[in-house]
Amino acid sequence: MNPTYQVHYFGLLNERRGLAEERVSHPATTAAGLYEALNAEHRFGLATADFRVAVNDEFVSWDLLLKDGDHIALLPPMSGG
Amino acid sequence: MLPSLHFFLTDQVIDSASLTSELHDAAAGAEVTFDGRVRNHNDGQVVGGLEYQAYPALALATGRRILEEEASRHGILRALAAHRTGSLEIGESAVWVGVATAHRGEAFDAARAIMERLKYELPVWKKETYLNGSTEWVGPDNKSAETGRRSDDVPEWKSELVEIWISPGNDFRGHNGGSRGENGIVSLPEVECVAGMGLKGDRYFGYKPDFKGQVTFFDAEAVDAVRNHFVCPDLSSGEFRRNLIVRGIDLSAWVGKRFLFQGVEFEGSEECKPCYWMDAAVSPGVEEFLKTRFRGGLRARILSDGVLKVF
Repeated sequence: MNPTYQVHYFGLLNERRGLAEERVSHPATTAAGLYEALNAEHRFGLATADFRVAVNDEFVSWDLLLKDGDHIALLPPMSGG
Repeated sequence: MLPSLHFFLTDQVIDSASLTSELHDAAAGAEVTFDGRVRNHNDGQVVGGLEYQAYPALALATGRRILEEEASRHGILRALAAHRTGSLEIGESAVWVGVATAHRGEAFDAARAIMERLKYELPVWKKETYLNGSTEWVGPDNKSAETGRRSDDVPEWKSELVEIWISPGNDFRGHNGGSRGENGIVSLPEVECVAGMGLKGDRYFGYKPDFKGQVTFFDAEAVDAVRNHFVCPDLSSGEFRRNLIVRGIDLSAWVGKRFLFQGVEFEGSEECKPCYWMDAAVSPGVEEFLKTRFRGGLRARILSDGVLKVF
């Protein structure tokens, strides 16, 4: 069975996906692989080189190996201030 | 003693006065506070309001980490910073930073460093609402919300920065008929560029609004040409009193154009015409020599903040 991830969308990605979070079952084992699949489906248009990802509330590299049940937050370029 | 550091998010109005009072410390000779407010225009558009979305768990951890790192760099005694979430109207505080340190220099530096990092590292996103009711997610400092870079194609200079020169005062300008000034000129390994102002520490920093010569670029090949032509191989490139000695770029091609150099954005304004002082400072004939082939260099405005380094 595919692992299940909780994906959180922020900012521009939240708007383009039309929701803040969703459960996704997918064979991808890295955040990069998971985003690639989501991007193919929803056409977000952002490249992983240009934004960051967090897993379980910590910034991580895109090639971190995911575990079943992980929370993956997709963080487009930040714009505080 | 450990510094007192606190970062928080709030959906309520930020109360600058009460936050400031929390900075007071008997050991602190300096307090600097920064209050970032929502302004009514951005990038040529009238803005009606803003909305901030945050990722609370990660934003709190990130804000704390930034304060801790800057505290150890700048000797902070107390630091307090806050970022708003939710909907904000024009004039409301969106972000607030306050630091207390022993002396003023580190207080200014610390507040600036914390603020710059909050803008780029805090997982908070800004959506602008325009007067016609439309909304748009925006990137940091008006860069692209998709890439975090500038969305227009400002070309990047691949040239080498050979030397940086700044001078605290004018030695030639305004000295007509008299002797040259004694301010001298110093070579630096790096220099801070401030948009619309100039180079930190230079005589033209904040000289006047929209000044065309906030910074001057000078071609290292022009230095070589003068050294050869006037047989002065040991002539310092600082004698020309231009700021940035570069190699590998045709300066004449950049009048009226924008460009990025080491990530800092500039706009070329005009040729930097040499004056008669060049003949006195270097050798007779240098003024005429520099008037040809754009050898006088390029004056430019600084469009974005950043640091230039000699490599």
